[in-house]
Amino acid sequence: MSKASPRSTAVRAVDPTLAALFDVHEATLPNGLKVRLLANHQAPVVSLYTFFQVGSRNERPGITGISHLFEHMMFNGAKKYGPKMFDKTLESNGGRSNAYTSNDMTVYYDDFSADALETVLDLESDRMRSLRISDQTLASERQVVMEERRVRVDNEIPGMMDEELGTLVYKAHAYRWPVIGWMADIENITREDCQQYFRTYYAPNNAVLYIVGDIDPKKTLALVKRYYGNIPRGPTPAPVLNAEPEQKGERRAVVRHPAQSPSVMIGFRGPAASNEDTLVLDVVQYILTKGEGSRLVKSLVYDQKAAVSVMLDWSWRIDPGTILFYLELKPDSDPAKVEGQLYAELAKLARDGVTDKELQKAKNNLRADHLRELSTNSGRGHALGHYEALLGDWREGLSLPTFYASVTAEQVKDVAAKYFAPERRSVVTLHPEAGAEEAGDEAAEA
Amino acid sequence: MASRKIAKVKNTVRKAAKVVRKQASAARKKVAQAKKAVPARAKKLLKAAPAPKSAATGELKLPALHESTTSTGLRVIAAERGPLPLISVRLVMRAGGVFDPPGKDGLADFTARLLRRGTKSMDADGISEAIEFVGASLYAGVNEDVLSVYLTTPAEHFSAMLDVLGQVVREPTFPEQEVVDARERALAQFANDLDDPSSIADRAFTRAIWGDHPYGRDLGGNKRTVATFTRDDVVRFHAGCMGPKISLLTVVGAIDPATVAAEAERAFAGWTGGPDAEPMLPRKQEPLAKAGTVLLVDKPDQTQSQVRLGGPGFWLGHEDYFPATAMNIALGGGFTSRLMNEIRVNRGLTYGVSSYFDTMSAGGIFALSTFTKTASTREIIDVALKEIHGVRDSGLKPRELKDAQSYLAGLYPLRTETNESVASVIADMRIHGLGDDWVEKFRDRLRAVTPKDVAAAAKKYAFADRPLIVVLGKASEVKPLLEGLGPITVVPASDYE
Repeated sequence: MSKASPRSTAVRAVDPTLAALFDVHEATLPNGLKVRLLANHQAPVVSLYTFFQVGSRNERPGITGISHLFEHMMFNGAKKYGPKMFDKTLESNGGRSNAYTSNDMTVYYDDFSADALETVLDLESDRMRSLRISDQTLASERQVVMEERRVRVDNEIPGMMDEELGTLVYKAHAYRWPVIGWMADIENITREDCQQYFRTYYAPNNAVLYIVGDIDPKKTLALVKRYYGNIPRGPTPAPVLNAEPEQKGERRAVVRHPAQSPSVMIGFRGPAASNEDTLVLDVVQYILTKGEGSRLVKSLVYDQKAAVSVMLDWSWRIDPGTILFYLELKPDSDPAKVEGQLYAELAKLARDGVTDKELQKAKNNLRADHLRELSTNSGRGHALGHYEALLGDWREGLSLPTFYASVTAEQVKDVAAKYFAPERRSVVTLHPEAGAEEAGDEAAEA
Repeated sequence: MASRKIAKVKNTVRKAAKVVRKQASAARKKVAQAKKAVPARAKKLLKAAPAPKSAATGELKLPALHESTTSTGLRVIAAERGPLPLISVRLVMRAGGVFDPPGKDGLADFTARLLRRGTKSMDADGISEAIEFVGASLYAGVNEDVLSVYLTTPAEHFSAMLDVLGQVVREPTFPEQEVVDARERALAQFANDLDDPSSIADRAFTRAIWGDHPYGRDLGGNKRTVATFTRDDVVRFHAGCMGPKISLLTVVGAIDPATVAAEAERAFAGWTGGPDAEPMLPRKQEPLAKAGTVLLVDKPDQTQSQVRLGGPGFWLGHEDYFPATAMNIALGGGFTSRLMNEIRVNRGLTYGVSSYFDTMSAGGIFALSTFTKTASTREIIDVALKEIHGVRDSGLKPRELKDAQSYLAGLYPLRTETNESVASVIADMRIHGLGDDWVEKFRDRLRAVTPKDVAAAAKKYAFADRPLIVVLGKASEVKPLLEGLGPITVVPASDYE
């Protein structure tokens, strides 16, 4: 959405508590790998994150879900450490690993005993340099991912609705399909597709390494150079085109499925992470749903007793994202009525704005949650990567508290009026079907 | 933050947008807790925990514990810890689900959740505003043994927030309308839970494996019991089961211990009621009533079966803890465990499989949790049983044990990374008598486990008798697959509303 206004150039002050916490050592290797190191000697453990700038956003129809399937394949063997050896070596040295894939990025992380640092760098650089994809491991991993899809989407009502909502909100953009991919695509992705993906997106110049914990930054950088230095640079991945047309009016869909209660999921088209409105929406999110005294929880759950729970998710994305609401209702609820009650609250915010006290409360909570997120090595490493991937520079994160503190009631009102406009919304309603025997079967049986 | 496990319902909406590689190995939660977002019990955290193995690894110490007792008998432990200006508090007492009166399953949990819905000097909105305005959070919940109230707050608001905590515990008023509303919300939630296959499978499993034992009750109650809850029930539970003499307050974070003692005295002044001594269930590990049987919960719309297997375990603080934990890591703990390797890596039968010991004050179980597409239901059970029996019959290879020890020892310090986890582990050490050296000695005790110790533990716990099997899925297709595993009982999912 081209309307997004550019980030203001006003200089923001860095928060002193965060500045003291983030004494980050930075380097870029000749092959383009960016390295961020942060010491914390509170416990003899280290967290390492590798952020690759690739996600379902980089996919195309026919190979949806490949970013995620490929993420699984990264654990299935490379040149030096063959199949099963990544986890075996890591765990037997006092470490654990996991990864996640989102629309925008693929993130690998390890937590480990400080004395295993060199082993972990050996493991991680081995798979970045020389992943080996065999037909056998791909066949088995494909089955795992299909089970994952069954548990997250096919047998899970909110998962099912979220998938439907994506196709309503986005017509052209790759955010249209779920990160896990369509079942038939998961079944048909080939080894060649995976190899192509590896060559294109897993080069060092498309990655950033974050190491946080009981480390000596200088010695650690020397080790990183030794292990990663000779991995060849790859081509620069093609930029993703955002061809999403303007939305001209409300869009609606119905999902019929056996369920006890109806429910409603609503998405409003939001801005991109780099747009300052994104941060104002963070404040809006807190005003609406953070805590039992927040507007929507108090109004819809406690006062009007219309919903069992109300959820608002506003996740930053590289391209314009979705402000998502989910209303869990009661068996005899009328979903249209509750939808109206939600819109009334949103309209009130857009019309009358917030009180100073509500605004201050949101800011206090954003700050407290921010600090809590930074209380672990893993939290700090992830925060650095998150800011760098979505805001362009990890330093942007250090001035977030200052920005939030500066948000005015007028900004909140304006942003609510802009983004909660009816023509920006898409609505999925679940209509319960009693005991339908075969519902959903055909989609999941391989 | 990325999660290592599959998020539960409240968080599932965006699951598809952020897909993690596997579910956590040992993070099984009870239905009531998972649904209402009470943190996993610290004992579970300990089970999942790992720590360093070599001499190069640093010593692990908790901050110094400063103890005091208020004039009304509340024990207080304070531990100063920086650098962030935050404080975590846990108030814990033996008033968990096992103390629900007969026919009132879920009353402890229900009462805990109503504490913040009104006190003598503040209504629910006032309490929420006081807590939430400053960026603090407060919530209460139960497990089988204890009721806990958790508070986290920016350090500069500690005094005011402890005051709120004191009020909600000392003088909640349980307004009639709040009781009525909470009951209705709970009933609607029970109905909606029927759409969550994993939660229903867990609930069916807990009831079946414990039978009439108090641990078999629905922690959060159910449609039948909660419908009978009245304000009088809640008032009576609060007055009779909650009190200072059975409670412990732990405070960890950026604050001077002397201040904590003084603030606790002030915030809990005049708190009376509850038992004089901690009520204890007798420790007794009985054989399972339903061993060798199959419970099939029918949910016809499923394309996937949820599978649970279980047998007897042991109680918190039991001498078998370390050998059994080492065994479990190798069998069904990490990514390289035998179960993960055979079921997920080699066969692609599931996305997640784990085994775990659920240890409580008076007893425990050993169990396995997984899921697979309907057609593979029997295969996954057969493979799981074969692996578990393999460990039972032959123990672990020395190398396997050593790897499991290194894994758990290497990651164990992560359990002392936050104020919350330190406050919880201190409470657990005291409440369950684990000893004040629990954290410091944990890795040594784990490393001292020998293959012989593991073999003995495996003989006892890796399904010495035939396990209970619970499957939730499409019964018309699943039932024929389960022939020969034991007598099969089929029940509708609605039995667990």
